[in-house]
Amino acid sequence: MSKIKALVVDDSKIMRSAVKRTLNQLMLADFEYVEAIDGEDALEKFSDDIQIVFLDWNMPRMTGVEFSKAVRKKGNTEHIPIIMITAEKSMGKVDTALNEGGANAYVTKPFTADQVSQVLSRYIDKNGNFLTENGDQGEKKSFFKDMLNFNKQ
Amino acid sequence: MSELLPIDLADLKEIPQEIITSVRESVEVTFESISGSRPEFHENGDENAPMNGIIGHITVFNSHHTLTLMVAIPRETALSISEVFCGMEIPFESDDMGDLVGELSNILAGEVAASVEQVGFTGQSSLPTVTRGSDLKLFMPNKPPTARLRFEGSGGGFWVNLALYESVSRK
Repeated sequence: MSKIKALVVDDSKIMRSAVKRTLNQLMLADFEYVEAIDGEDALEKFSDDIQIVFLDWNMPRMTGVEFSKAVRKKGNTEHIPIIMITAEKSMGKVDTALNEGGANAYVTKPFTADQVSQVLSRYIDKNGNFLTENGDQGEKKSFFKDMLNFNKQ
Repeated sequence: MSELLPIDLADLKEIPQEIITSVRESVEVTFESISGSRPEFHENGDENAPMNGIIGHITVFNSHHTLTLMVAIPRETALSISEVFCGMEIPFESDDMGDLVGELSNILAGEVAASVEQVGFTGQSSLPTVTRGSDLKLFMPNKPPTARLRFEGSGGGFWVNLALYESVSRK
């Protein structure tokens, strides 16, 4: 089982530690972490071998959604799942992150290990291997859109 | 613009009850999701004795109005929260404690922003700032309407102070 290179972006060291601790406790895969303190730092540390991103929204200098947009604009990054982990909870924000920001999933703080596990199961198989072809992303986005519409009603 | 409030707050004497209730419920939900038990709200929470502790400060704002939240946490409560949140007690004087209370304020503001949106105040949250010290006393401004909510959680008591004022961009 090869290591999955994850970029963990949050201005809070406590939250970066919480994300890493949760991922390690889940034991779904073996992770190698790159940490960034805001979107700008994340953009500098973003490299071709990053396989998954865990991203806060509200950060100084560059927000998570600005980072996500910048990464998608680079091109050839559609295969990299961007998981928002944020305190922003309003449906408008979820909508913005998923549809305008190019994020793939949305987890609100404080998160549980189960929530993270559920999201990761889309990208990591039961043997801990990263699913490089995320053919189900369109389906998942559609699910989130349905969820948004449901909550708006 | 928020439908709940007049643009000009000069004649507003109190924070609308809908906002106070939303904040109160947000505090309860946030602390319950972190600690596993719902903090108890105390009606008579207006005492303002000096505190040895830490205060997280964050706002939910739009172009017209700003709702400020000040989460005042005594030292012992903060230590107890750190144990639940991080799985170990964080030294009160450490940078990590400031980081933790900032994040806690951020999570609370996210919940408040989503909740007050339901009653007509649409806004976004700022970044948090944190103040720590002994003999801390919060002097609430005279002019804008304010409220002081007291809670008692499993790890101890804490306060959430609110102030509502016109956003600087309107001045």
